[in-house]
Amino acid sequence: MPPLSSGAVIRRTITSQRRDLVLGTVLVMGHQAGEALVPVVVGVIIDQVLGTGQTAKLILWLGVLACLFAMFSYSYRFGARLLERATQHSAHDLRLDLTCRVLDPRGADTQYLPGALLSIATSDVLRVGMMHRTLAAAAAASTALIVGAVALFRISVPLGAFVVLGAPVLLVVVHVLGKSLERRSSAEQAEAASAAGLATDLVSGLRVLKGIGAEASASNRYRRASRESLRATIRAANAEAAFEGATLLLTGAFLALVALVSGRLALAGQISVGDFVAAVGLAQFLLGPMYRFAEVGTTFARSRASAERVAAVLGAPHVVNDGFDRMPATVAGEVRFRDLSHAGLHDVTLDVMPGETVGLVLTDPADAVTLLNCLSRAVDPTCGSIELDGIPLKTLEPDAVHAAILIAAHDADLFEGTFRENVAAAAGDPARVNAALVAAAADQVAATLPDGLDTRLTERGRSLSGGQRQRVALARALAADPPVLVIHDPTTAVDAVTEARIAKGILAMRTGRTSLLITTSPVLLAVCDRVILLDQGRVVAGGSHEDLAGYYSQYRAVVLT
Amino acid sequence: MTRNRELLPIASTAETRRAVWALIRPHRVFALVTMIVLVAGTVIGLIGPPVLGRIVDLVVERQPPEAIVWPVGMLVLIAVGQAALSAVGAALVARLGETVLATLRERVVERALELPLGQVEQAGSGDLIARVGGDVAVIAEAVREVLPTLAHSALTVGLTLVGLVVLDWRFALAGLCAAPIQIYSLCWYLRKSSPLYAAERVAEGERAQQLLDSISGAATVRAFRLSPEHIQRVSHRSQVSVDFALRTTVLRTRFYARLNLAECVGLTAILIVGFFLVRNDSVSIGAATAAALYFHRLFDPIGMLLAVFDRAQEAVAGLARLVGIANLPVPEGSEQSIKPIDTSICVAGVRHSYTPGHDVLRGIDLEVPSGWRVALVGASGAGKTTLAKLIAGIHHPVEGEIRLGGARHDELGPRLTRQTVALITQEVHVFAGPLADDLRLARPDATDDQLIEALDQVGAAAWAFALPNGLDTVVGDGGHRLTASQAQQLALARLVLADPPIVILDEATAEAGSLGARTLEAAAVRAIEGRTALVVAHRLTQATTADHIVVLDDGRVVEVGDHETLVAAGGNYAALWAAWSTKRTLTNSTGKASGLASGRDGRSPRR
Repeated sequence: MPPLSSGAVIRRTITSQRRDLVLGTVLVMGHQAGEALVPVVVGVIIDQVLGTGQTAKLILWLGVLACLFAMFSYSYRFGARLLERATQHSAHDLRLDLTCRVLDPRGADTQYLPGALLSIATSDVLRVGMMHRTLAAAAAASTALIVGAVALFRISVPLGAFVVLGAPVLLVVVHVLGKSLERRSSAEQAEAASAAGLATDLVSGLRVLKGIGAEASASNRYRRASRESLRATIRAANAEAAFEGATLLLTGAFLALVALVSGRLALAGQISVGDFVAAVGLAQFLLGPMYRFAEVGTTFARSRASAERVAAVLGAPHVVNDGFDRMPATVAGEVRFRDLSHAGLHDVTLDVMPGETVGLVLTDPADAVTLLNCLSRAVDPTCGSIELDGIPLKTLEPDAVHAAILIAAHDADLFEGTFRENVAAAAGDPARVNAALVAAAADQVAATLPDGLDTRLTERGRSLSGGQRQRVALARALAADPPVLVIHDPTTAVDAVTEARIAKGILAMRTGRTSLLITTSPVLLAVCDRVILLDQGRVVAGGSHEDLAGYYSQYRAVVLT
Repeated sequence: MTRNRELLPIASTAETRRAVWALIRPHRVFALVTMIVLVAGTVIGLIGPPVLGRIVDLVVERQPPEAIVWPVGMLVLIAVGQAALSAVGAALVARLGETVLATLRERVVERALELPLGQVEQAGSGDLIARVGGDVAVIAEAVREVLPTLAHSALTVGLTLVGLVVLDWRFALAGLCAAPIQIYSLCWYLRKSSPLYAAERVAEGERAQQLLDSISGAATVRAFRLSPEHIQRVSHRSQVSVDFALRTTVLRTRFYARLNLAECVGLTAILIVGFFLVRNDSVSIGAATAAALYFHRLFDPIGMLLAVFDRAQEAVAGLARLVGIANLPVPEGSEQSIKPIDTSICVAGVRHSYTPGHDVLRGIDLEVPSGWRVALVGASGAGKTTLAKLIAGIHHPVEGEIRLGGARHDELGPRLTRQTVALITQEVHVFAGPLADDLRLARPDATDDQLIEALDQVGAAAWAFALPNGLDTVVGDGGHRLTASQAQQLALARLVLADPPIVILDEATAEAGSLGARTLEAAAVRAIEGRTALVVAHRLTQATTADHIVVLDDGRVVEVGDHETLVAAGGNYAALWAAWSTKRTLTNSTGKASGLASGRDGRSPRR
């Protein structure tokens, strides 16, 4: 997959919603033009109606005013909806693209942690979607500026020139002023925000704090952070207030100048009273679209930065390539390691026969993880290979590998849903679910829950204890009944009585199927057909658990202490 | 997992008002000055339209061009005055609001940390975290953005009405024609919007939860080939939240349309009144102009006022939840607290149940002499954790008595209880910030050397020094990620620093993989050296070296004794041990039995 640029993401976002975008933009342009005309119409009424006292004229112009209001109000109403739809649909589409990318069987080589990915899939995609709003706002502001400028030039060319040239100068001054203040205040706001994070962090660790009686020192620490944050916030607020004051002063002075120029023209009889009112009103109104126009650059830059983050994930390279070999319809389950070398593993050669249960004891936990990654084709080994029924894994589709070899990881996640749904997630045969629950001693867990098997698990099963989670995850793996099952440390948080029951359960469920148990638990190793010991990534011994425990001191040291 | 949760209190409107007033009271002079500055700034701003109206009159009166000078001079002065006063006003509002907010949030966090753990567990810690995090953030934002807008807009609207009255009272009446429409629209909007916004937030929360579920569990999703199902789930949650976003937009645009109607009606009314008053010569064209300008200038503040109204409402609701916490009674550190005479634990006839009729503990008697290490063994659900929590004083037994060093928990008082007994569970939390700060929570005045010593004692010094910035490395949420067993070592190091005489370890070594567990067990043994310790163990190696083993089954103590005695007795423990060690190894490793007997020094005999 070629690397994706932020430009490509933006182009796709815009073209995919072009109908809503174009129509929405036209409508909000109409809205702005209408708002710009309000002071003009008011000026006309003051000029042509109030002085003359003609009721018919009053009714006519009030009718014009009402139509104007109706026009811009409806334009805004439907334009804003279309733009919001474009924004939300773009965000939704990108969100799904991101999810597909992250969950792709070939893996995604991104540096992002889950929290960062979540923020990309929620706030960044929305910000990319807001591109539609920014474009429409730019078009609408330009419309207002053009309508306003035309109206001013019609009143008086020098007046129009003064406003059209003077206002941008004012904006530049305000912008420059704002930039220097923004730099200062954003640093202070960051400092202010840190206290908020501290509070939730401390309360999240409440049990830990209570456990060692550290409430008072935590409370003191928060008070200090809160006071520091208060000082920073006040400094930032002072800077902002000064900025607001300066802006008010500059715009006030500008409007006074407009009043001076147009007032002199009116007193000299060159423009009417209504023109004077319209000019002052327009000068004030036009500042709004000008400020918005000045902001377009900033919001666009922000959308672009978000698009870059989205593109980085969408364009992330796959970790492993597609395969080309087909998997036979039935997998016998013979697993052969041929001189496998990767990371900490060296020249691992090992044959596991179909239906065999083999225990693997690795002295370095990191090597166990490497072995799991190779078996699931999360990585392809640098040297040597793993073959399933004689076919090298790296020639198979990653998804086909996952179908044949299931890795029950030590830290496997549970998902939102009921207890039963979690266990049955990958079970082809629903009848196996109950057997798997019993085998993994997960039936005991369900019995302690308020709604038994129908209890909803929340936050990836965090409502359960570590040992309970392990049993549910193991039941799910056993229920899936894959040709080859690799189980990594399934009982580290389970008490000894239950562990013995689980060992028997695994054996019963896996009769005739290939199983690899990567563990150092003697209870589990005792039920394996044979056990292989790997030290420093090399195979050093093999045999039954009983034999190894009897004569191999290193094995005893790893497994039995 | 009780479903009828007893939530933490929420303050009533009256209580909230009283609490806010109590917070402002110390600053009331400051508040008064702020108010005066804000009013003065708004009043000065209101002089603008009449001055412009005056220019209109000058034109109508055909005055010479020089007559423009003083009105424009006035406009400049107004700009200067308004700018200065609103800058000062904004700064004052921020200072007042932020100071009051800081005091409130500090009190809330302090109370939250003082809450009895039993009460927090009853309510679910999520509620408390949401108040301390989400509610404080909502209110902070309100203080920063809603409060100044509210103050400025409300004053502008109110004083502009006064301005209209000054021009002619009939202008004010005309302007008020818009008010019924605005009030009706606002009520309509708030009635419709608050449930819709609440539902939108729920939908967004569920979407985030689903995304986090699928993204964090990507490895599991791939392994079980659940990708299509998870993409479907994300799509569904996302679609629901998109639908809500579009519905709120429809509602909002309808609301704005009604405000446009109100503006149109008000402006029309003022122009009609102006028309007739000018025709009667009651007012000048300039005054009518000023009235129209006044009203046109109100569009923005009224729009802003109404737009922030729902956020203000939300902030008030958050405030009630915060005051609910802040008003909780301070737990009394009993004055006549009895000091423990030694470090023994005595449990006598303790019965406990979380829901009446379902006894978790059914009459426990247990004596742990000072300095002993006792292992608590039993299957899941036997009541080990409950007993641990009772001894730590987190819950109080329904029946029976627990004494630490001869004193009951209520005699010790909460503070002294916490100093006497520490509870370390498998729940680990790494506090965000520098590693040294995390450790100093346990002992604020600890020197760097003491921190290093504590880390060294639990075998964590090596990796702590290997961190990018050593002890100053930022760890926890958003910082350097520690492994589960490193986090647990950190918990043990905190224990060493807190230095309580009695320790309870509740499966504190369970979360790590089987090899990590061994490192942790060694660390735990060193951390509890010299203390009276009760260790809830699921790995029996922890039990073999204990002075005493207590076997719990179904809420009762069924066996007591040291490892050898219990194995010889052939009861529950012997069966456990057989399952654990397998018979073969027990007979094969003859060295083991002799090692066990010397387990008293607290070190694993086989290292």
